[in-house]
Amino acid sequence: MTVDEKTAPPKPAAIPVRRKRKAGAARLGRADRSPLGTWFWEIDRVLLLLVLVLISIGLVAVAAASPAATERYSNGAYQLAPLHYFYRQAMWIAIALPTLIFVSMLPKEVARRLALSGATFFFVMLVMVPLIGSEVNGAKRWIGVGFMQFQPSEFLKPLFVVMIAWLLSLRSRDASLPVVPLTGVILAVVAALLMRQPDFGQTVIFASVWIALLMLSGVSMRILAWLGAAGVGCVVAAYMFYSVATERINNFLFAQGDTYQTDRAFDTMVNGGLMGTGPGAGTMKFRLPEPHTDYIFSVIGEEFGLISCLAIAVLYLAIVVRVFVRLLHEEDEFLLLASAGLVTEFGLQALINMMVNVQLAPSKGMTLPFISYGGSSMVALSIGMGLLLAFTRSNPYLTRSPYVVKWSGR
Amino acid sequence: MTALVARPARQRFAGQREQAVALVHFRLMVVMLMFAGITAVIALRLVMLWAFSDRPSGADALHGLVPPRADLVDRNGVVLAGTIDAWKIAVHPQKIIGDREAIAVRLAQLLPERSLDVYRRILHSPRKFIYLRHEALPELVQAVNAIGEPGIVFERETRRYYPQGSLAAHVVGWTDQDGKAASGMELSLDKRLLDPLRRNRAVALSIDSRVQAAVESELMAAITKFSARAGTGIVLDVHTGEVIAMASLPSFDPNAPAKAPIANLANQATLSVYELGSTFKVITVANAIDSGVVTDMHRRFDATEPLHIGRFTIHDDHPQRRFLDVPELLVYSSNIATARVADEVGIDRTRAMFHKLGFDRPVDIELGARGRPLWPQFWARVTNMTVAYGHGIAVTPLHLANAYASIANGGIWRPATLMRRDPDQIPSGRRVISAATSARMRQLMRLVVMQGTGKNAEVAGFRIGGKTGTAEKPHGGGYQRNALVSTFAAVFPMDAPRYVVVAMLDEPHGTVDTGGYATAGMVAAPIVGKIVARVGPLLGVIPDDRREVDMTGLENTIWKPKADKH
Repeated sequence: MTVDEKTAPPKPAAIPVRRKRKAGAARLGRADRSPLGTWFWEIDRVLLLLVLVLISIGLVAVAAASPAATERYSNGAYQLAPLHYFYRQAMWIAIALPTLIFVSMLPKEVARRLALSGATFFFVMLVMVPLIGSEVNGAKRWIGVGFMQFQPSEFLKPLFVVMIAWLLSLRSRDASLPVVPLTGVILAVVAALLMRQPDFGQTVIFASVWIALLMLSGVSMRILAWLGAAGVGCVVAAYMFYSVATERINNFLFAQGDTYQTDRAFDTMVNGGLMGTGPGAGTMKFRLPEPHTDYIFSVIGEEFGLISCLAIAVLYLAIVVRVFVRLLHEEDEFLLLASAGLVTEFGLQALINMMVNVQLAPSKGMTLPFISYGGSSMVALSIGMGLLLAFTRSNPYLTRSPYVVKWSGR
Repeated sequence: MTALVARPARQRFAGQREQAVALVHFRLMVVMLMFAGITAVIALRLVMLWAFSDRPSGADALHGLVPPRADLVDRNGVVLAGTIDAWKIAVHPQKIIGDREAIAVRLAQLLPERSLDVYRRILHSPRKFIYLRHEALPELVQAVNAIGEPGIVFERETRRYYPQGSLAAHVVGWTDQDGKAASGMELSLDKRLLDPLRRNRAVALSIDSRVQAAVESELMAAITKFSARAGTGIVLDVHTGEVIAMASLPSFDPNAPAKAPIANLANQATLSVYELGSTFKVITVANAIDSGVVTDMHRRFDATEPLHIGRFTIHDDHPQRRFLDVPELLVYSSNIATARVADEVGIDRTRAMFHKLGFDRPVDIELGARGRPLWPQFWARVTNMTVAYGHGIAVTPLHLANAYASIANGGIWRPATLMRRDPDQIPSGRRVISAATSARMRQLMRLVVMQGTGKNAEVAGFRIGGKTGTAEKPHGGGYQRNALVSTFAAVFPMDAPRYVVVAMLDEPHGTVDTGGYATAGMVAAPIVGKIVARVGPLLGVIPDDRREVDMTGLENTIWKPKADKH
């Protein structure tokens, strides 16, 4: 809110359309009662700004990674323009950004209902994947053809969070409802479907978000401890009996098998040093598989330096902290759980991707949210972020935590 | 309607609710701190990457700019060994999505080293990764890529390439499948070639590939003509010790050393030791003159009868049955007269001379494969007499070449080298004979080519001088009459020596035009003549009829029965 209604001049151009508005009311000002004005007044503008910064960084990063990716996928017969992925990404952002704004404008109740029905729809799609899905890189995750291909699990992720949050919030109304076991069953089914694809990374995210939600919903520490132990047990079991996990973890821990990808990622990451080689001057990125998706963080490291990587890590943390701090004065249990769950899911995906890139975690097929190239996943992320913005929308003066110090200077 | 049903579970006291909210807030902060913690770990790791990781090795980052291994070039910069990019073709059998049968058929056509059945087995293999071909050329990679199977992958690899093929193969050596140096200068210079700071600069060898080619071609022609088992040729700079050419034939292609018979891989010039026969007489005579045993070129030694020493008898191959002076000794290559000279020189001085010439240790050269000379176990009087004409001692051809260089260049012995020596890098060497003796020896060697056994080496204008050496190969304690080692060691131009040329044939056989003889004068001397005629101008020695060695002091030393010998 930087526009001062007293000093800002009236905007005659907008007035003919919105005759009802009081003359002199600044556009998007406090006095602007249009839906857009209300939205801008209520939205968490800091969060929105952080997300927009992230998307901008993503565009630059995809532009940097695009030549490396197109060279990899081009051959004598089929040439891709060097900035092919950049143009595609720009196009997808043109679709994703309005989606984000639109979703964030939905009334909370409507957003919740749509999310719940969406969760059901994409859950069904996930079930359909083994039947009508198509295989990419040895994993069957995609549905649809050509331009309209999408991963149901990407879309299900935010909607699943909302669903779990809603189910858990029912507990405060009736503690006798067996919601915890119910959400556990839902997670188990989703996890089973994901492991079939196979998609170990997404399974970890779904499970982690579920545990985080249980924790926030006030489940006793004893149960959480048991769940934590079970989680460790699951990972160990996956390592022992699930070949995909065995291979990835062996690769990571003992540098066994084909470590070409991770070795190249490491080379790319460290090639730029602290300040980077400069945009377009990276050389190691051309040897990197998936430079525009899974390993875009490494490409950023090479061209813009490790200091940029540091800044991006801090940016993700800032988004998480911003939401969590705002939630300190949220009292509605559903909104609290849904918002916390959405941002946890978002932040966790970013953390895992960054950890894979700096060789702190075994490689998984996971993208860096809003930075990696990805068409449908961009839209899915926008839906998730839109829901988060919708749920955290609030009249800034309605409830204000006495613990939070005013910082905007207003 | 008004009945109130109490549902205790739904009723919370105000305090309880506050407690629950406080718990949620507490846990929110815990989750947030976990995020902060992991981000801190990532940040720490990024700082560590910056501080403690080397950037990817120069070979990777500057690929194509700095070779992973320095080139080897000859003294004029002709590339003898270089590094080029090639491709490895491999397959992930588990990731194949195309029709395996069709792919197998196509692979069998493109990579015919395996049969169709083998490719079927490979493509159905449970293994994850199988190499199909190393060192594939771009055209082949393109053709295999055109199969369009994503399960077939290509990896870049660097390959050591020897563009001159078998030229100077024994000098250059080769690298094995993994790019590790296996032999030759590749092995000797391995550290230098791999040194990250210096590998952008090629290493210059002393070899002149033009001279090397001439030596190899003349030597091979002679091997073929005389059905010899093998042959060795050396061209050595008399003043610097640089080896200008070193050939050991039959040779091999360092690009595929495994395809050559294993015997061809040995460098006979430095690894094999031979009794080099009469070529040693030059050394004996030089020793005799230098030590004052022979001061008068007209002094005669009895060569009328074979010489009996104990149970040994020393014969001459070209018996003159008269007294011979020193020039005649060399011109007619008399064993008997040489034995008498050596007897006067004595055991100690003979040994001292051989020691000074390095005949008691492997030859001084950078190569790893160097043979140890067969040095007599016990020097009896007769041993001293036989080693004087090159029997009972075995050295490598390079030993001999270097000894001739020392005798001809004014008397200075320098270690031989395969590295190009700049003028300031030439070692000062050590004196083995006086300059005066050296001048006398040049006259005598020239005389051998002008009038003696080396006549077939004469090429007009090049002032070649040298000495033949025909030795029977030792066999089971005795010697084989029909298995010879025929050597001609020469220096040119004799009035101002520049190069030693040694040609040696192992077990040559006479032909009709040599009258059935396989002696050095017949088979080896012509090789030297042809080599000199070819390489002399390349090396800056211009044939000049008006120049000749000054023969002062040798007047009337060669007795002629008539006015002209012929």
